[in-house]
Amino acid sequence: MTDDILVVNKLTKQFGGLKAVGGQGGLSFNVKRGALVGLIGPNGAGKSTTFNLISGVLEPSSGSVALNGKVISNIKSSEIASHGLGRTFQTPRAFTSLSVLENVMVGAGSTGERLTSVFSGSWRTDEADIKSKAIEVLQQVGLDDRIGDIVANLSGGELRMLEVARQLIRDPEILLLDEPTAGVDPSLQGKLSSILVDLHNEGRTLIVVEHNLHFLLRIADVVIVLQNGELLAEGTPNEIKNDQRVISAYLGDEYAA
Amino acid sequence: MNIEQLLLAVLTYGCLYSVMTVSLNLQYARGGMINFGTVAYFAAGAYAYAIFTQEPPSGLDQYAFGFNSPWWVGFIAAGVAAFLFAIVTGWPTLRLRGEYLALTTFAFAEVLHSIFLNERRIGNGSVGLSNVNRPDFSWIGMSDNYGFAGAAILLLMFTAFFCHRILASPYGRAIDAVRDDETAAEAVGKDIKRLRFEIFVISAVPVGFAGALYAMITTLVSPGLFTAEVTFFVWIALILGGEHTIKGAIFGTLALILFEEVVRSFNFETVRSAEIAASVEHIMTGIIFIMILRWQPFDRFTKKGAVQ
Amino acid sequence: MTLIAQYFVTGIVTGCFLILATIGFSLTRRVEGFLNIAHAELLGVSAFVTWGLNVKAAWPFLPSAIFAIIFTAVVGLVVGRLFYDPIRKLGPAVLLISSVGVAYVIGGSVDALVGTGIRTLNIPLATTYRFFGVRITDYQMIVVALAALTGLSLAVFMSKTKIGLAIGAMADNPELAASRGIDILQTSRATWLLSSGLAGLAGVVLALIATLSTDLAFHQILQILAVAILAGLGSLYSVMLAGLIVGIAMDMSVFWIPAGYRPLIAFAVVILVLLVRPEGLSGRKSK
Repeated sequence: MTDDILVVNKLTKQFGGLKAVGGQGGLSFNVKRGALVGLIGPNGAGKSTTFNLISGVLEPSSGSVALNGKVISNIKSSEIASHGLGRTFQTPRAFTSLSVLENVMVGAGSTGERLTSVFSGSWRTDEADIKSKAIEVLQQVGLDDRIGDIVANLSGGELRMLEVARQLIRDPEILLLDEPTAGVDPSLQGKLSSILVDLHNEGRTLIVVEHNLHFLLRIADVVIVLQNGELLAEGTPNEIKNDQRVISAYLGDEYAA
Repeated sequence: MNIEQLLLAVLTYGCLYSVMTVSLNLQYARGGMINFGTVAYFAAGAYAYAIFTQEPPSGLDQYAFGFNSPWWVGFIAAGVAAFLFAIVTGWPTLRLRGEYLALTTFAFAEVLHSIFLNERRIGNGSVGLSNVNRPDFSWIGMSDNYGFAGAAILLLMFTAFFCHRILASPYGRAIDAVRDDETAAEAVGKDIKRLRFEIFVISAVPVGFAGALYAMITTLVSPGLFTAEVTFFVWIALILGGEHTIKGAIFGTLALILFEEVVRSFNFETVRSAEIAASVEHIMTGIIFIMILRWQPFDRFTKKGAVQ
Repeated sequence: MTLIAQYFVTGIVTGCFLILATIGFSLTRRVEGFLNIAHAELLGVSAFVTWGLNVKAAWPFLPSAIFAIIFTAVVGLVVGRLFYDPIRKLGPAVLLISSVGVAYVIGGSVDALVGTGIRTLNIPLATTYRFFGVRITDYQMIVVALAALTGLSLAVFMSKTKIGLAIGAMADNPELAASRGIDILQTSRATWLLSSGLAGLAGVVLALIATLSTDLAFHQILQILAVAILAGLGSLYSVMLAGLIVGIAMDMSVFWIPAGYRPLIAFAVVILVLLVRPEGLSGRKSK
């Protein structure tokens, strides 16, 4: 097993005439196994696009992404998900016709999802396991009191945590989180921060896109800074805090947060 | 027509058409796929049944095939025919969504209709196949009418059970997730193409069986019986019943069939007044359809992706 | 050789009719944002109003036609405001499904009032002319002339008049149009009137060149869909080109395949376009 769980190599994405990601030589960076990586940059830097490229929602114009040594930039996102990569979205997505518990259970992928097994009933034994695992995971993300609820009653922040729970039940090796603090009450951000640290301590690799730098710089091992789709800087939180290029890119404003 | 005959007709046709509505419920209400070609699978089943069970051509017959098989062979053939046609038409259309999927399924159904109408060797043209084999119910001691009503009820029960099992399993949960938000479903490893294709094809099979049953009852299959009207009837029945549940689908179909059979049972003095009644029925069906669509909006199916 | 030429010319006539039948449909699609299956029924309304006035009330043809077109335009407006506007927010798929219900209502009404059976207009018999071995009737030439005239007038209307420009803007980009101060409601009403009026015109043409029966309208929707899908979301010109292509393809196909399959060409066009190039000729992707 290599030390780098994720290798992004000269990745570019072009929309018509606009190069959203890649710039001159394409975007390249490596992610070490077990690291908590922060991905930051001003608006329009291409952070979510990069996530979309890694998770397979978008196909790269050129370049490649490798997960555990296997190239994933040419396979569909559902396959990538089954290789141990999970992600949440910038605007939280939920299955509105399923209950909160079902929203998490559906993440698990039971044997009952093969049409042939539907009628044999063998999936019933799995169901109980999946259910208890789902409850466990919901407790882990702090949604204990929502377990019997429906999606429509959840706040934006809770929907985000539901998404995380849905990914967690899959036990992903690497988890991409797109702006997890957005819409989350400042008083709850401490809780969120400890959830992420716990996941980190479990050995999972996390890549977190965040605008809330105060939040991120306290927990990240490595920070990658993007600007206009290109890599601006890479380093520890301290290094990045003092990096002139980064400061001028942000114009110093967001540090106040 | 007396009350007993009316009720029997409502029961028989109600259950037969309900099979199609339940199938559509699986495809649209749960699977999120707009299929405007339902009649094609119905027709495929009916014609397959007729071709397999009728006698080989003789004399002035223009059709080329007749295998003279027992009814149950024809029945199975009907399911297989619908299955195959669903594979052929389903596979290319799965990249399409919404109204575009509706159009291609509609177009494919019209293509099949055209083939049956023009290829005399297959379907005997516009005249149709009239030597359809009808199973005999005398060995159970029932008259044909009751026999077919019972058969329709049985078919509906099997179809409903089948669909319910699918929907109540993790598979059903996965289907609901795919319908609600494809991107999020993919993010948890759901193969949306496979799931949609499977639902599309598997739900066509009962429709084929219904076609076989229909052929048995009418003993005639002709292209005029399998027009887009059938598809729209099933759609209206689905909407009428409150498009999300199996029970609703059955209820909506029975209500619509009852409405039609009642209108049909009136004794009209002239051909003209019968025509007018049929037209008025058409208009009323349309109005009820529009009203239901307006006051029972499809919240679930229009909010895709991000939740407010 | 002349046979092919004959089919080609007939194809142009068919194509011109299809253009007339589809422009209105295409407008509704672009401005209101959905495929209005009931559009074809308006052709029936117009055709039978023309017939009713011309044959039953013994009006001369031209006044009957004009009245029919105006009547159809109004019917279309009423239908649009009454049935479609309240559910616009539910999305194009629901509107498409609803339009089936609307088609039932309109079609049922025409059926109830007119009854079954074949009808023809009270007009002089067609005179056939021969050019270079190809036969064409005066009515067919009128169809071609009308299509060209309509296309031209529409182009002028949409680029020179205020309401025409508004419709064009809405067809391209409703959000942008709204922010530029265009009265959405008024433009929407104008679009319903215009597209239904065009359907009315197509209905009159139908009455001229075809024998009328009450299921005629439904058979047209398949071909209208084919032309609209082939044209895509682009301008008037793509509709005209698509109409001609479908018309010519349909009529020339008779040379190679049995005549009964002629409508099949339209369906095949729909399937092929949607699978290969869903944006159609115009190449504009939907929002």
